[in-house]
Amino acid sequence: MSERRSCKVNFGPQHPSAHGVLRLVLDLDGEVVQKIDPHIGLLHRSTEKLMEQKMYNQSIGYVDRLDYVSTMCNEHVFSLAVEQLLGITPPVRGLYIRVMFDELTRILNHLMWLGAHALDIGAMTVFLYCFREREDIFDCYEAVSGARMHAIYNRPGGVYRDLPDKMPKYDKSKLRQGETLKSLNENRQGSVLDFIDAFSQRFPKCVDEYETLLTDNRIWKQRTVGIGVVAPERAIALGFTGPMLRGSGVAWDLRKKQPYAVYDKLDFKVAVGVNGDTYDRYLVRVAELRQANHIVKQCVKWLRNNPGPVMVEDLKIAPPRRESIKQDMEALIHHFKLFSEGVCVPKGEAYATIEHPKGEFGVYMISDGANKPYRVKIRAPGFMHLAAIDEMARGHMLADVVSLVGTQDIVMGEIDK
Amino acid sequence: MGIEGILNEGFITTGADKLINWARTGSLWPMTFGLSCCAVEMMHAGASRFDLDRFGVIFRPSPRQSDVMVVAGTLTNKMASALRKVYDQMPSPKWVISMGSCANGGGYYHYSYSVVRSVDRIVPVDIYVPGCPPTAEALLYGVMQLQEKIKRTNTIAKESSKSLNNISG
Amino acid sequence: MVDRKKLEELVELLESEFRDKLSFSISDINELTVEFDSVDLIVLCNFLKDNSRCRFEQLVDLCGVDYLTYGLTDESGLESVEMSEPRFAVVYHLLSLTNNQRIRLRAFVNNKSLSVSSVVDIWPSANWYEREAFDLLGISFSDHPDLRRIYTDYGFEGHPLRKDFPIIGEVEVIYDPERKKVVNQAVTIENRQFTPKVIREDLRYE
Repeated sequence: MSERRSCKVNFGPQHPSAHGVLRLVLDLDGEVVQKIDPHIGLLHRSTEKLMEQKMYNQSIGYVDRLDYVSTMCNEHVFSLAVEQLLGITPPVRGLYIRVMFDELTRILNHLMWLGAHALDIGAMTVFLYCFREREDIFDCYEAVSGARMHAIYNRPGGVYRDLPDKMPKYDKSKLRQGETLKSLNENRQGSVLDFIDAFSQRFPKCVDEYETLLTDNRIWKQRTVGIGVVAPERAIALGFTGPMLRGSGVAWDLRKKQPYAVYDKLDFKVAVGVNGDTYDRYLVRVAELRQANHIVKQCVKWLRNNPGPVMVEDLKIAPPRRESIKQDMEALIHHFKLFSEGVCVPKGEAYATIEHPKGEFGVYMISDGANKPYRVKIRAPGFMHLAAIDEMARGHMLADVVSLVGTQDIVMGEIDK
Repeated sequence: MGIEGILNEGFITTGADKLINWARTGSLWPMTFGLSCCAVEMMHAGASRFDLDRFGVIFRPSPRQSDVMVVAGTLTNKMASALRKVYDQMPSPKWVISMGSCANGGGYYHYSYSVVRSVDRIVPVDIYVPGCPPTAEALLYGVMQLQEKIKRTNTIAKESSKSLNNISG
Repeated sequence: MVDRKKLEELVELLESEFRDKLSFSISDINELTVEFDSVDLIVLCNFLKDNSRCRFEQLVDLCGVDYLTYGLTDESGLESVEMSEPRFAVVYHLLSLTNNQRIRLRAFVNNKSLSVSSVVDIWPSANWYEREAFDLLGISFSDHPDLRRIYTDYGFEGHPLRKDFPIIGEVEVIYDPERKKVVNQAVTIENRQFTPKVIREDLRYE
């Protein structure tokens, strides 16, 4: 009888599944996985060390680029950490805008996750449908900050500026005119809030479309039910947070347990799974899509009725308005000091955390009273999830490894920092 | 790229060149080298709104089946040898589009100890697409510029000295 | 919002158990920090995990900190400074889901040995975090099952997040067409300082 030996297969770093640069060294016995050794660090860009060289407001861009599919949530945490050190709270309207964009970002993240996960498993249509909705949210980002992805909209003290009154429209061209142009611009006649409102009205039907394609699909179920089962106690011990933890049956959501911003004033439900497998995590995230939409609707309603400031008025933290710089000497001096030297944050340390779409995203910041942070540590949720892939994948087959990497919602930007 | 100018310029040779270039630009098959955030914009360029498929562009996962490599994102020191290996596996003629400011020159992470300050230290680049990240539209424009560049290459016809003098003079 | 009273009760419990081995501080934002020397780490961690009034089941974060330039603005010429106080510390953030509270532990590392006991047997999530602290700061963890570099390049020398390691690093890569491979060379750019570090005492925060 011939001897059977396991073989080592290299999976990545360049591979078609859309998860970035991940290298897994797999020990395989035939098709069955014996051991996985993930090699990360192929996107290690030394964000933490670079943040120690820059002023606080200059580092917001770095945080954006960590988990690059849910950018405004990362900015929220960072701004929260700086605000905790400074001891300030943004005005209520600023908090509502933050929450609304957090939930829109949650929708963005889960759409990307759904598209990429389905594409890896083989369902290519869902990818195109999800990206259609993502484009609309990118339009919101662009209207409010100027950039489609890395908005740098949340800043310590609030948000950069209030929601604009006009939404950019499609222009007439050779290909687009008449009726087509009219239908494209239908939702863009009013302000950004009207556009977001129209989006949240039609979004539940879009989620119904995705569910029709996947939820009761035999092939989908065969590829996801029973794959990567994690018991609740083991999930807690391994450091899982977010949908990975809730999929295993632990009802832990920071928006309910340790509320921040205005989540204690909003009404929403938290989805919790039963079996702890990939299918349950899929259901949890789809339910979160619907709940996020519900929260967006509530925020839009509040924002319509309550005008006000969106950034703290303290000139030592937030820059003054451009018009006042041209007339007021103090405003000019503050602008100069803020952009040449930066805010000097008092001595102390803070650990700020939010319920990020992927889990618990934390920023631990130590300040020694200077204009630059002394030490910034990013607690990325995906780091712990990827560390557990060895345990989750043992005994499964090679094709299931792809499902597992997909279900963990891996984005190498936050893992590698 | 590949053969360059074997016969003298004439009606048939330039005609043949035009045909070859039309075939090459009409079906540029990129290999995705999505490294970080620019990869998301690249996906958007290939998805519903900015459909790249109408340009004949189909994303191929394997380097052996692709013409152009779109390096989208930050290239780190650890990843550099993998990039070169994948580039070497592509058959010529091949082109490289460097997408985003990290790939163009280090970008936001220029002063970092672990980032390669521009992809062109590792592979020769044809088109640089600026932006952080470049919008999907900008990438589309970069692909169209690459098509223009390819249309200027002479595979069969030798470039005549007359046209060379015009360029330098 | 975090209940300050609950944190104070926790402080009392820990004080009664560990006498004067620990020092406590509760910040204005109601975060409890416990500082101690790293010899007491394992005993404290086991207590925090198992005691019914603590029940810190999850290790949320573990990071290393280098205190070489803390509070200093002129950061030149620090390579040869011998610190009398501990230079490195390992900071643990714990979360109790049953009691809904958080705690921060700071274990100061011995300057000579630069080694701390690993908490992998208590919380399995510490595995990769300790590898990261080892890679970026050089703190080694005894009894760790697999302590090797995780972020930096294969064959990298040095510990990047230390304050005396330059941001631009020491090596960079380039393709060598003669040897037909990617090789290391000395770094060619200069270390540029964008904004000088300024420490300003603001009377409002005192």
